[in-house]
Amino acid sequence: MSSQDWTRPDRRTFLLGASAGALALPAAARATWSPTMERKTKHVVLVAFAGGVRTRETFGAPANIPTLEAMAKEGVLYKRVKSSNLGHFGAALSIFTGISEARGIRENARGGDPTLFEYVRKDGGLAANDVWISTSGGAQQTNYSYGLHPDYGARYGANTVDGDGLFNAEFKSILDAWGRPKALPPREAELLSRMRGAIGGGSGAGGDDSARVEKYILDELTSGTADIRGANAADAKAIRVARNLLVIFKPKLVSIVLQQADAAHGSYNGYVEIIRRNDEALGELWRAVKADPELRDSTAFLVLPEFGRDADLNSRRGLDHGDGSNDLEYVTATCWGPDFARNRVIEDDVQAIDVCPTVCELLGASAAKARGKRLPKLYA
Amino acid sequence: MRLLWFLLCLAAWGIAHAQVPAQTEAAPARALDDATLRAACMDLLGRPPLEVERAEWLGRGRHEFLDHWFARREVWANWVEEQLYYFLLIDNFRPENERVGELPTLLAAGKLDVRTAIHRIALSPSFDQRNPGADTFVTVVMEQMNGLRVQKNVRELEVAKGIYDGKPGMFLGKSGSTQADIVRISIEDRSFAAQLLAREYARIVRGERDKSVAAEEVRRFQRDPREFSAILRDWVLSSAWDERVRVRRNTPNRMWIAALHVDLLGRAPEAEEARRLRTALDGLSDTGPLRSVLARVLIDSGQVKLPEKSAIPDPTVWIGGLFQRLLGRAASADELREFVRAFHEPECRPATVLYALVTHPEYQTY
Repeated sequence: MSSQDWTRPDRRTFLLGASAGALALPAAARATWSPTMERKTKHVVLVAFAGGVRTRETFGAPANIPTLEAMAKEGVLYKRVKSSNLGHFGAALSIFTGISEARGIRENARGGDPTLFEYVRKDGGLAANDVWISTSGGAQQTNYSYGLHPDYGARYGANTVDGDGLFNAEFKSILDAWGRPKALPPREAELLSRMRGAIGGGSGAGGDDSARVEKYILDELTSGTADIRGANAADAKAIRVARNLLVIFKPKLVSIVLQQADAAHGSYNGYVEIIRRNDEALGELWRAVKADPELRDSTAFLVLPEFGRDADLNSRRGLDHGDGSNDLEYVTATCWGPDFARNRVIEDDVQAIDVCPTVCELLGASAAKARGKRLPKLYA
Repeated sequence: MRLLWFLLCLAAWGIAHAQVPAQTEAAPARALDDATLRAACMDLLGRPPLEVERAEWLGRGRHEFLDHWFARREVWANWVEEQLYYFLLIDNFRPENERVGELPTLLAAGKLDVRTAIHRIALSPSFDQRNPGADTFVTVVMEQMNGLRVQKNVRELEVAKGIYDGKPGMFLGKSGSTQADIVRISIEDRSFAAQLLAREYARIVRGERDKSVAAEEVRRFQRDPREFSAILRDWVLSSAWDERVRVRRNTPNRMWIAALHVDLLGRAPEAEEARRLRTALDGLSDTGPLRSVLARVLIDSGQVKLPEKSAIPDPTVWIGGLFQRLLGRAASADELREFVRAFHEPECRPATVLYALVTHPEYQTY
């Protein structure tokens, strides 16, 4: 569904709506979802506030997270979101697939299930530049961009940028030493395109999307992103990259995957400091969205950790994740956006895997293989 | 009759003597061509052949190539790098101590086997730092080394976490009471051999082995881990590996970086140079645009030695040679025609031809 189609429900949406009406949904449910209602949400920012973050250090200590606290007051707060201790990789992946599936902690491979990025791109016919993930955890996290399901896969995947991997001062120094690629005169560019097109009898020239990404990368390398320092540098870069992507490409969906709170294994104080700084960086992103005339009334945020941490400190005065406690398995999710209720707190249990179908529905897609449900009581 | 006998003898003598030169000039079994030499170098050395190696090995037997390189440090340095990457012991978590640093030399000299090498890696402080805490450490050992899903082996996980914290217990059927015991028990278990051989086969040959063959190889490895080289040799000499050469797949970033340096600069990248580029490329799910940028930046940097256009007497030969060297195959007639036609246009430089080849998706496969 293109952006112009939001007021014209497709056949599937229409039938779903008709069925809902026929079943005479309770009044509360009708208030939360109506397929004929035009959504104001055109862009979604999904933040996996990951690395293992307990509610005790977020909404249990609001001074650490003024941005999330403010978002919650203007939005919906889910206080009991069930997550699974599947390791950081598997747990974050389950947010994107809507399926709790065990993955190895250091497994550097794609999952078998489609991700919300694939659902949104396939159902909405979206281009690659409409769907991005900005990560901070290196090579492993690029696997979030798409799964290996035969009906979905790479052709519907998100663009993934790992801020700390790409936009770091060391890499920038290499490019500075080598110099910039020279612009080709039009005729030479045409000959290059012809030769590339001849190889293997197919096309290999790449399209406008590739050229825009190339330009974005080069521009970003010369901006300040590569020079970000500090305890949360990788996370801060991921958030900065997302901010710039939103402003430049105005994508439908941007996801951010943070990771550095996992420093908690060795340092409780370091972990709290990272939470504070990440909240501050999220605040910058939120303000940038509010300052953008196109984004401010059409962008929704969903923020949640992939899981929490143990109830008690370990022998190094840090926090591991493996005790099966409520602190580990229940996290808090914050939702803010033009279609969402304001200042609503949900005490009922929901699941982290409910996020995938919720985001898909917001963007007019169906999370066909997901096992989660749409988050309840979300809409105004 | 005598005449017939004489003629038969003459014919036999002629055939016999005619076969002598034919035998000495016959190609060896599984002679290396550009495709197989490039693939073998990529698989074992993590880079394509240098020009001097190409001249040395083209046309020679694959078994000879393997015998030569298995005794060299470079193959084992690449193998160790692959293992470090598998355990995500990269960047800040890369082990820099001497015991890990000397692994390639010891493996090449046959003074150490691959199981002991992985044992050393898993006992390094970097492995511990990368996998902090009982839950993470034990989970990674079970998953990465033994191929066990912890969610399906909850009891083993809990016992091993206790052992990590100093509480004696039975893990994978053996008793232990320290963090080091967990690693020792893990690598001695049959599941370690099965997991190592399965992932190495998937890396080198791609796909899965016949189950009975796999079981026999695991037995061989368990009896003597030094058998690993012989098993690896069998794989590269197999028809399954011939098929792997035909079906190309995307080149991992670290290998693409090495290929670009060897193909354009005639040298492998420095370790630090490779690390920085790899970290950047690993940060993207679709590396195509950045690879394209990097290839063009390198060609434009002035470091790549390219002939003057006027110094290329026969563009067909020059372009055909680039296809062989960079893509490991001959150019088709259509490709050659289009390239040569473009080359004759005044705006086309030798660099333009190189751009076309190294920025094409086919160059990003191996």
